[in-house]
Amino acid sequence: MASLHPPLGFGLGLRVDHYEAILADNPEVDWFEALTENYLVPGGKPLDYLMRVRERYPMVLHGVSLSIGSTQPLDRTYLAQLKALAARVEPEWVSDHLCWTGIAGRNMHDLLPLPYTEEALANVVERVRTVQDILGRRILLENVSSYVTYRDSQATEWQFLREIAERADCLILLDVNNIYVSSVNHEFDPLDYLSAIPVDRVQQIHLAGHENHGDYLIDTHDHPVPDPVWELYGAALRRFGNVSTMIERDANIPPLEELCSELDAARQLAARTLARAA
Amino acid sequence: MSRLADIQEAFQRFLLAADSEIESQVIGTERVSVETRLGIYADGYRSRLIEVLGSSYPVLANLLGEADFQTMAAKYVATHESTFFSVRHYGHQLADLLAADAEYSKAPLLAELAKWEWAMADAFDAADAEPIDSGAFAQVAPEDWAELRFEWSPSVQLVALEWNVPELWKAVTEDTERPEPSLSLQRAGWLIWRRALQIYFRPVAAEEAAVIAASRAGQSFGELCVLLCEHLDESEASLHAAGFLRGWVQSGLIVNKR
Repeated sequence: MASLHPPLGFGLGLRVDHYEAILADNPEVDWFEALTENYLVPGGKPLDYLMRVRERYPMVLHGVSLSIGSTQPLDRTYLAQLKALAARVEPEWVSDHLCWTGIAGRNMHDLLPLPYTEEALANVVERVRTVQDILGRRILLENVSSYVTYRDSQATEWQFLREIAERADCLILLDVNNIYVSSVNHEFDPLDYLSAIPVDRVQQIHLAGHENHGDYLIDTHDHPVPDPVWELYGAALRRFGNVSTMIERDANIPPLEELCSELDAARQLAARTLARAA
Repeated sequence: MSRLADIQEAFQRFLLAADSEIESQVIGTERVSVETRLGIYADGYRSRLIEVLGSSYPVLANLLGEADFQTMAAKYVATHESTFFSVRHYGHQLADLLAADAEYSKAPLLAELAKWEWAMADAFDAADAEPIDSGAFAQVAPEDWAELRFEWSPSVQLVALEWNVPELWKAVTEDTERPEPSLSLQRAGWLIWRRALQIYFRPVAAEEAAVIAASRAGQSFGELCVLLCEHLDESEASLHAAGFLRGWVQSGLIVNKR
C-alpha cells in the first residue's frame, strides 16, 4: 500500500503572468504547481518570485525534462539541480511525466510516447527507483497525451502506468485531460483507463483544455477545461475521492481571476460529487 | 541496440532530420493516418522551439515582424538542436547565425540586437550576489593596493556594440518612438548588470572596457594601472583606475576583493 499525501485542495500552475496578482491579491488558491525547469537558474527574479509565493502557499514541483523513459543515462546534473531546488522550495511533492524527451544528449522539449513493452517498463522502473533514491522521496509520474501507437506495444497505456507505479513504488499524477485527449486519438473508453488505475497511487489530478481538430485532439493547454474533461473529472472523483486538483494553463493565459473562477467550478463539482458519494 | 533504443533513435531522427523510418514502427487508424499522427510531433517540435526563440528575443521579434521572425527562427531551429534541459538556453547561438547568414548579416544590427537581448537574459537570472560596500576599501594599506583583485557580480555582461542597439531596445520595450538605426563608433561597449532584481546598463569607453575585461579576468589593481598607462601617463593612471573602481563599487558591480 502506498500512503498518500493529505489532499492540498485546489491549485493552479504558477505562471509569470500572474506573479504580481498573486502577491498583491492573495487569491483563494489552495496551492501552486511550479514548473521545475523555469527555476533551475542561478538567481534573480524567477527564484525571488517563486520563494515569495512559496512563503504564502503550499507548492509542488512539476518537471518536463526528467526523461524517465529514455534509453540514454539519467542526467545527473539535472537531478542534482532538481534536488537542490527541492531543498530550497520544500515542495509537498515532485512530479514529471511518463515519457521520454530525447537521446544522445539532445532534448526535443516534448513529452514523447513510449511503446508499452516489457523492455520499456523495466527501463522506466529501474530509472524511477534511481531517481527516488537520489531525491530521497517518491515521485509522481503523469500520463501524457499521445498521438501515435507503436507496433511493439503489448499492453494498454493504463496497464503500463499501473505496472510502473506498483513495481517502482511511485505515485501517479493523473491528467484527466490527457486521458480524454488520448482516448479520442486512440479510440478507447476513458472510463476503462480510470478503472484500471490504483486508487492508492493517485496523489494529484491535472485539468486542462485542448484543441479539437475534428478527427483528433491536441493537448495545448490554451483553452478552458471543456465539458468532456469535466465529465471525466467527475468520474475520477467518484473513483479516487478527494485528490489534490489543479488547472494547467500554458498558453493564451487569461487573468488570474478567470482561472480562479474556473478553479471554483472544479471545487463545486468535487463538493457535489463527493457529497453524493458519501 | 535494444528495440526501445532503435525506436527512440528513429523517432528522434524523424524530428531532427525528417527521416521517415519511424513510420514503419507506428500504427495509424482509418480516421487518422500515420503521417498525420507523426506530423503532430514534427509540427509541435518546430513551433515550440520557434515560440521559445520569440520569448528569448522579444525585441528582435517585434522589430522583424511576425512573418520574418518565423522564417528566421525556423532557420535556427533547422540548424540547431537543443542540448539543454531548460529551453531557456536554446537560443544561445542566434546572434552567431544572424552574423554568419548571407542575408541577415547585411543588417548587422540584427546580430547585435540578439547579442544584447541574450546578455540581458543572462543578467536577469544570474546568481544573486551582495555588492561590496565602499567602506571595505578603507582598511586596505597603501602597499597592498597593487595586489588587490576584484570579484565581479555574476550578472555583469560586457557587450561590444557598433550600432545604437540599446536605444532601439529601449524604444521597442517602452513602446516609444524608435530611433533610426545608426552606428555609434565612439562607444566600445555596453555594460549590463543587475543590482538586487533591477537591471542596469550604461555605455563604456574603450579604456574602461579594457580595464573591466582585465579585472574580470583576474588582473590586479596594479596591472589595471599598467594597462591604463597605455592611454595615460603614470601618475594619472592610478587616479583614473581609482576613479573607475569607485564608480564600479557605487554601481554594485563588485561583490568582493581579495
